[in-house]
Amino acid sequence: MTFKIIAVNSLIIYFKQAISEEVLDQVQATYLALKSIEGILDLTPSYCSILVEFDIFIYEHKILERKINQTLRGLALTDENPNKLIKIPTNYKKNLDLEHVAKHNNLSIEEVINIHTQTTYRVYAIGFMLGFAYLATVDNKIATPRLESPRKKVPKGSVALADLQTAIYPQDSAGGWNIIGHTEFDNFHTFEVGDRVQFERL
Amino acid sequence: MKGFKVLSAGIFSSIQDQGRNGYKHLGITQSGAMDEYAYLWSQKLLNNQNSNAIEIMVGLKLEVQLNTNIAICGADLTFKINDIPQAIWQTHYVQKGDILSFPQRISGQRAYLAVKEGFNIQKKYGSYATTLREKIGHKIQKNNILKYKSTTKIETKRLKKEFIPNYHNTLNLRLLPSYQNNCFTKKEQEKFFNNEYEITLENNRMGAKLKGLAIRSSKGGIVSEGIAFGSVQIPQDGQPILLLKERQTIGGYSKIGTVLALDCFKFAQLAVGDTVQFEKITLEVAREKMLKFYTNN
Repeated sequence: MTFKIIAVNSLIIYFKQAISEEVLDQVQATYLALKSIEGILDLTPSYCSILVEFDIFIYEHKILERKINQTLRGLALTDENPNKLIKIPTNYKKNLDLEHVAKHNNLSIEEVINIHTQTTYRVYAIGFMLGFAYLATVDNKIATPRLESPRKKVPKGSVALADLQTAIYPQDSAGGWNIIGHTEFDNFHTFEVGDRVQFERL
Repeated sequence: MKGFKVLSAGIFSSIQDQGRNGYKHLGITQSGAMDEYAYLWSQKLLNNQNSNAIEIMVGLKLEVQLNTNIAICGADLTFKINDIPQAIWQTHYVQKGDILSFPQRISGQRAYLAVKEGFNIQKKYGSYATTLREKIGHKIQKNNILKYKSTTKIETKRLKKEFIPNYHNTLNLRLLPSYQNNCFTKKEQEKFFNNEYEITLENNRMGAKLKGLAIRSSKGGIVSEGIAFGSVQIPQDGQPILLLKERQTIGGYSKIGTVLALDCFKFAQLAVGDTVQFEKITLEVAREKMLKFYTNN
């Protein structure tokens, strides 16, 4: 874990620059620990980093770094598992690209659905739009590249797939991911980096 | 409740405040007034606390339904009351039936219209700030009523001349090297700091694409990470993008550093075709300037 000064009111914590569950666990544990530090105004956790924005009238970088390190040392004493599991009831019938994903991987539609629902995904990052959670890692057997040109409108609730990542569109938007299902799930504010997510077939 | 009736919404008028904190982990951007200098003076002239204002680009026209004090700061958009030009960077007492208009841009890009005690609207995620792409906040549309409390007490305050900025069409942007700045060789950095960049059509509340000598990063993409206000990212085409109030919360392009927030506020008053030049700033100097800014404002 290293600190880098970003601006007068921010620093970034870098973890090992790799996309892995091990690093994600560190990001999540750190993120949860830092949430309670007064004077930190915003935290942006992502795959292997956390951007920390703070009140410049309370902290200087060096002092905040020390405070963060102290907080994290305290963390080593707890062993509670912070992961919450979010279940997404999914209708794999209302879809556009399920057949394409099956063909691309020489599988039947049934097999694609089974593989997609068998994996428990983790939230690696949230961005692109409010509540858009990047879920990984999709089984290689159903990995499918993005569409050659994005659709102008992907409906809210679309369950989608791109390469080794899957996601749910939290609102109507343009998008280039393969749409394989639809969910009525609407609680996008619940997603936090590190959470576990599973799709359940309706 | 009454307030201002919107007769014409203008090009892009929205309710803003100092921005939204504490929700970036959900992907919700900061947003807020693009030029905090002008915004904060509009508040201070009226003695408003934790309030809001309309960010105006041009063309807004309002009918006053209730007497109140207003303050206008920022761009010169030929502010008029009942078709008579009025000074800005000061308060005005406006009365029922008055028509407020901002018909033409003379200098600067964004003006702030604040009303005594603020507009009576709902906060979303702890802030009044508007972000259209997130469908959060309040975009101003024709026939809207922007509610506020009426007052009979006339206030007269104006900003001293020496504090009123002149908007030019060039600007130095003081940049703190950080993020992936070591992915840019000394030669590339020299190019970056020694040349002018022009503001292109692709500029809005999210950020501004600049045009000039291309800068090459030794790294392609990076793993997506949090983007601070004022970050300068350099995509594959080598043309810098300055990221502002409505920037995406995470992104995967290399960044050479962050522009001092004060200079980003000034940047908000520049237009397409205006030019900027980057210069280095140290953390110590940058911190001192920001502390001073928020102490005085």
